[in-house]
Order: sequence, then structure tokens, then C-alpha cells
Amino acid sequence: MEMIDRYIYAVTQKLPQSQREDIAIELRGLIEDMLEERVGNREINKKDMESVLLELGSPREMANKYRGTKRYLIGPELYDSFLIVLKIVLISMTAGLGIVFVIETIINPVEILDHFVGLIVSLVTAVPQALGWVTISFAIADYYGGIKTKDLGLDKTWHPSMLSAVPDPKRRIKRSEPIVSIIFYVIVMVLFAFSSNFFGVYVFNDGGFREVVPFLNEDTFSQFMPFVLLLLAIFIVKESIKLISGKWTMKLVGYTVVINLLGIMVVSFLITGDAFWNPEFMSDLVHAGIVTEGSEGYQIGESIWENSTRIIVILFLVGLVWDTIDGFIKARKR
Amino acid sequence: MLNEQEHIDKLMLELRRGTITIGVLSQLSIPQYGYSLVTILNEKGVQVEPGTLYPLLRRLEKQGLLESLWDTNEARPRKYYKLSEMGTEVYGQLCKEWESMVVSLNHLIHTGKGEEDGND
Repeated sequence: MEMIDRYIYAVTQKLPQSQREDIAIELRGLIEDMLEERVGNREINKKDMESVLLELGSPREMANKYRGTKRYLIGPELYDSFLIVLKIVLISMTAGLGIVFVIETIINPVEILDHFVGLIVSLVTAVPQALGWVTISFAIADYYGGIKTKDLGLDKTWHPSMLSAVPDPKRRIKRSEPIVSIIFYVIVMVLFAFSSNFFGVYVFNDGGFREVVPFLNEDTFSQFMPFVLLLLAIFIVKESIKLISGKWTMKLVGYTVVINLLGIMVVSFLITGDAFWNPEFMSDLVHAGIVTEGSEGYQIGESIWENSTRIIVILFLVGLVWDTIDGFIKARKR
Repeated sequence: MLNEQEHIDKLMLELRRGTITIGVLSQLSIPQYGYSLVTILNEKGVQVEPGTLYPLLRRLEKQGLLESLWDTNEARPRKYYKLSEMGTEVYGQLCKEWESMVVSLNHLIHTGKGEEDGND
């Protein structure tokens, strides 16, 4: 009888708590009925039990039948978009890592083998991560999205008059736009994740590479990095939503506004602080032999450098505000 | 690629799945418990496995087509199912639909052949 207990436990374990007891009693009754029919008055042996349970099928199949609905992480509605985003992310990430490899090799050609090993190692670690994050995001979207369409009962009350108009070409979002953006963000992400050193002035002399004068403060950058990566990830989510939606709607504009506001806040917070930028930038430039102290070039360079924080924040603001307004205008077109 | 027999098996599975509900409803004007229903249906040539029938009975009950009652007087507790009022109604309608479907399909099958032979 222990085998039957195990079987019933294995089935009910996979079912909602509220139905377990009922189904357990029912299943036990069924199994006993089946045994009785098979055996008659003879003693029940292990073989009989096994054959009955084999007839019923594996506990997993049995539980699935009781549950009725197919269970999946990403449903057919989102699956195509999922594949597209996944491809984009994987391709651009590989491209980003490739760029890292090239830059590292330019900086230090002697250790090309090490760089190559590094490239392979990061591919092996980063690809599953990217896969995981994309899948999790889509699974969440599917979970919440799925509940919504069911609750609204869209299919039941559907009528041809409810068909939404084919979006005006001006309202449509070209697929290439979000795809290019996602590729861009992923590459920047990879570069950031690797080293803040890649962002800077590259100094060459005598036909060879000498050094990079970094824009960013290497000592404090590790504190900032999570925020930068998170921000880029949020932007990737935004572009994915655009890609899936395919046209501008007020809802999409709403998402864009929220995400862009968040972006503006994080960027202003990061960039305006002193710790973000390389405090020794000007003297590093002098050391690298690009400018000499006191020259006209030095002064120009210094004023550009000192204004750059403001300029970048303003450019970024304008870009994000434009993104929002553009979406708003397009969404209003009928 | 599936071979011929596999195609037939797959299509028959779908066909059976679609008709099994009518078969079940047809037997439940008097209360039956799961296994007795399996026996009855199999005797009458409608093959159904307990692993399919038990979940189906629960689903039909949840949808309100069947009512259930636990009988605890016997050696082992048994859940008896029978048609609810709505279930009876639905079963009647289903039978009509089924009859007309059989007629239409028979017509299709036979006239299809007839046209090939050139005598409709």
C-alpha cells in the first residue's frame, strides 16, 4: 500500500492545496477499484499495484490532467517578441564583448591571448545571464499581461467594429528604431561593465597606442556602476515595450514618461556629483603630452571639460524630453 | 515526419477527446462514481482511461454541468456524479448538435465519393 500512498502524494503535491484532499480520496478509491477488478479475491501483490499505477500514467501527467490548463512561462502571444529581443540582446552583447576585445588588444597588443581567453570567459558567463534576464522579464510580462486579457474577456465580446485602425504610418514605430537602440544600450552596458577606462581620450604616438586619459573617476566608479547598469537595463525594457507595441499609444507614452523621468533623475544625480568624473583629467592630459599647461589649447580644453557636465545633462534632458514629446505627438495622430 | 498510422492515431485522439464529454453526460442521468462509469463506457465500446475521466468529471462539476455527492456508507468513500439541471439541458442540446453533425458529415463523405464517380 505504501506505493499507492507515494503515488497519490506525488500527484496531489502538484495540485492546488484546496483540491488535494478531495482528489486524494478519489484517487485512492479509483486505485482500489482497479485493483479489486484485476485481482478479485486473491491477495494483492506488488505486481498488481505496479500495473495499475502504470495504467494511470506518471504522477506528472496525472496532475496535468487535473490541472487542465497548459502551463508555460511565455505564452504564444509574446513568444515572437521574446525571440526577437533575445536575438538582439545576444547579438549586441557579443558585439560589445568583441569591441572590448579589440580595444584591449589595441591598448595592450602583447597580451592578446589573455584578452582572447577573457573574451571567451565573459561570453560563457554573460550569455546565460542575458538569457535569464530576458526570459524573466518576459515571464513577468506574460504573467501580468495574461491575467489582464482574461479578466477583460476580450475574446468573448469581440466584434469586428472593435478592430483598431491600422496605425497611421506616422504612428507606427519602425522596428529598426528600438532594435538599434537596444543594440546601442547593450554595447554601452558591456563596455561599462568591463571597465570605465574605455571612456576617455585615446593617446597615440609614433604609430602606437600609449594610454587612455579616462573621463570617469576610476576610484569611485564601482559605486556608480550598478546604477548605470540598472538605468541602461530600464532603457532596454522601454525599447522592448516599443518593439512589442509597434505603434505609439497613450499607454506607451505613459510608460516612456515614467522611465524617462527615472532616467533624468538618475543621470542628474550621478553626473552632477564631483565624484563621477576624473578629477585629474586636465593634469592627466598634460602628462600624456596632449596639451601643455598654460597654452591656449589647455584653456579651451579646460573650459570644455568643466562645462561638459552641464552640457551632457542638458543634451540628455533634451533627448529624453524629445523622446516623450515625439511619442505624444505620434500617439495623438489618428 | 509522422507516418500514416501516427497521423491516424493523432487525429483519432482529437476526435475522441471531443466526443468523450457527450459519452460521459449520456450515462449520468443516474448517479455513477468514476470507476463504474469507466466500466460502463468501456463495455459499450467507448474507450476511456480513468486518468482522463476523473479529471474530466471534476471539470464538468466545476462548470456546473454535474453535481456530486460523497457516499461514505460503503467500504470506501465514493464520489457519485450526476447531471445537474443545466447539465441535462446542455446534454439535450449537444445530442441534437451531434445528430446534425453526423448527418452533415455523412452527407459530405458520401457525396464526395459520388462526385468522384460522377453520379451524385
